[in-house]
Amino acid sequence: MNAFLQSTVYGLLQGGLLALVAVGFSLVWGVMNVINLAHGAFVVVGAYVAWQLNEWLGLDPFIAMFGSMAFLFVTGYLVQRLLVNLVVNAPVFITLLLTFGLDLLLTNGLIMIYSGNYRAINTSYALKSLALGGVRVPVGRLLGCLLAVACSLLLVSLMKRTRTGLAIAATGMDRGAARLMGIRARHIYALTFGIAAALAGLAGAMLATVGTFSPADASKYTLFSFVIAVLGGLGNMYGALAGGLLLGLVESWAGQYLSGTLVNAVAFGLLVLVLVARPAGLLGRPFYESRLEV
Amino acid sequence: MAAESRVDVTGKPAAAPPTPADEPDGWRRLRPATPWAIGAIAVLAVIALQTQLYSGQVRTVSTVLMFIALAQSWNILGGFTGYASFGQVAFFGLGGYSTAVLMAKAGLSYWMALPLSAVIAAAFAAVIGLPLLRLRGHYFAIATLGVAEGLREIVINVPRLTGGGAGISIPVVGKHASTAYLGNDTFYIVFLVVAAATTVLVGVLSRSRLGYGLRAIRQDEAAAAAAGIDTTRAKVTALVLSAFCTGLVGSVYAFQQVTIYPERLFDVQITLLMVMMVVIGGSGTVLGPIIGATALQALSEYLRANFTEVHTFILGAIIIAAVIILPQGAVFFIRDAWRTRRLPLLDNVRTYRL
Repeated sequence: MNAFLQSTVYGLLQGGLLALVAVGFSLVWGVMNVINLAHGAFVVVGAYVAWQLNEWLGLDPFIAMFGSMAFLFVTGYLVQRLLVNLVVNAPVFITLLLTFGLDLLLTNGLIMIYSGNYRAINTSYALKSLALGGVRVPVGRLLGCLLAVACSLLLVSLMKRTRTGLAIAATGMDRGAARLMGIRARHIYALTFGIAAALAGLAGAMLATVGTFSPADASKYTLFSFVIAVLGGLGNMYGALAGGLLLGLVESWAGQYLSGTLVNAVAFGLLVLVLVARPAGLLGRPFYESRLEV
Repeated sequence: MAAESRVDVTGKPAAAPPTPADEPDGWRRLRPATPWAIGAIAVLAVIALQTQLYSGQVRTVSTVLMFIALAQSWNILGGFTGYASFGQVAFFGLGGYSTAVLMAKAGLSYWMALPLSAVIAAAFAAVIGLPLLRLRGHYFAIATLGVAEGLREIVINVPRLTGGGAGISIPVVGKHASTAYLGNDTFYIVFLVVAAATTVLVGVLSRSRLGYGLRAIRQDEAAAAAAGIDTTRAKVTALVLSAFCTGLVGSVYAFQQVTIYPERLFDVQITLLMVMMVVIGGSGTVLGPIIGATALQALSEYLRANFTEVHTFILGAIIIAAVIILPQGAVFFIRDAWRTRRLPLLDNVRTYRL
């Protein structure tokens, strides 16, 4: 029972971080119908920016994460404005391939600058753990998870309350009509991509604090984002949070009771099952499933 | 969004086709045979090329031929039908592992294992095809990706059969070898045969009833169904054919490599390369995948040889540029340039940009 409780807590903590990794991916997919294969690379870039700031200035990762977010927001905005916007109306696999090229560029750029070695940001507190009634809770993961949940909730309220948020949602639903209402779709798309990249950068800074990272991790995070976005479904801002927590729990439980790398097989099996049974995802709106490809 | 998206898939402007009356009589009768004649000459040329190469180059050209076969296989489903399979490598890996297991554990000869492996891959495709082909667009892409990743994990986790993460070796020398190693020169011919066979299959398909049905599905699936095409059956047939060819290539690759690992045989990069080659060449055409595979593989080899440190970096930049300038593929690009007598370099950007 204790082992079960421990793995549940660990799964929820990991799931919160994974949700933060995926929330930007899910946003971009829902609004622009673009699958960003470079999302995992953005996460890793965020980790490197935080690590670099920590090396140079000795910044605490919870402050350095603002540097990651700012850097990736600018990068994301420019990438969408100058590259992805050029092919956004082309058939499905064109944007997939474009972001795949971007992923190669970023990942190999990082390898050229920093080599492929694993790194981590060391802090005095992240690896300590609290004991709560026999269950150990690592401090770094707890802080990261709380921050991730807070960010997801903040994003939801921003999307619902602010004019910019509403403009993003409107552009996602019907771009033609949104433009007629005076929304600058090019800017809104770039802004959405920038926000998604900034969230990825934040997630990267957190992941660098609680564990190790290297350029090779990029594809892993892209894949996680995929799974979470599909599990949660598009069009519901809580979808990524729910999908992330679910994936974290499933992986943690499978890790507890199954052997070795069968954990991943379980995750992908779950993905295929959900897709076949309920293609709109667990919380998604059917609209996003029935939408034609742009 | 729907109103803006009504762009012709190939993005080609209307141009008058050459009128048949312009052509001499005998030439018109010969015309349908010309692609086959050119194909036969190309195959002979590749055989002749082999005598001019040293062994390292033989291996390089073999890889090009392998990717032509893979790109053609992906083309059947992704190009003609418009269902972008991002888990095509599942059939490649399944074909390779079937061959390795059949030869190493069951002691079958290679020439038995080769067709069996392709059939196993095709059967697997038939099983997963029915539920997965109900999904469309990105969802189909991700579901197939999930299948490929899941299959890799399963292969890793049954080490008694597959050797697990440590890989499995096909016995090629000594008493246990059911078939002796073929050697680079024979593999060159085998890959050539497979590439030519898949190309012929795609050529026949593109003029067949099924091929037209698949194209109709790509343009509008509901309309295709209304026109009397059994869409489910056509899609599953396309997937099974595609998986059969991919499994065949996987089997040859496994025997060529002798020792195979799950990480290599189920590498998602192989799928992405197939997609890339078809899209750059021209999806839904016979010639496109050949052009795409040859160009991309040659470029990749050149960069690897000359800019070892940064070759993937440059490749990434080239992919981005190619996708922006040539989203409809080289075949359509050249055709448009030929018909309109000008280079439509930025037309695609004008069509597809926001």
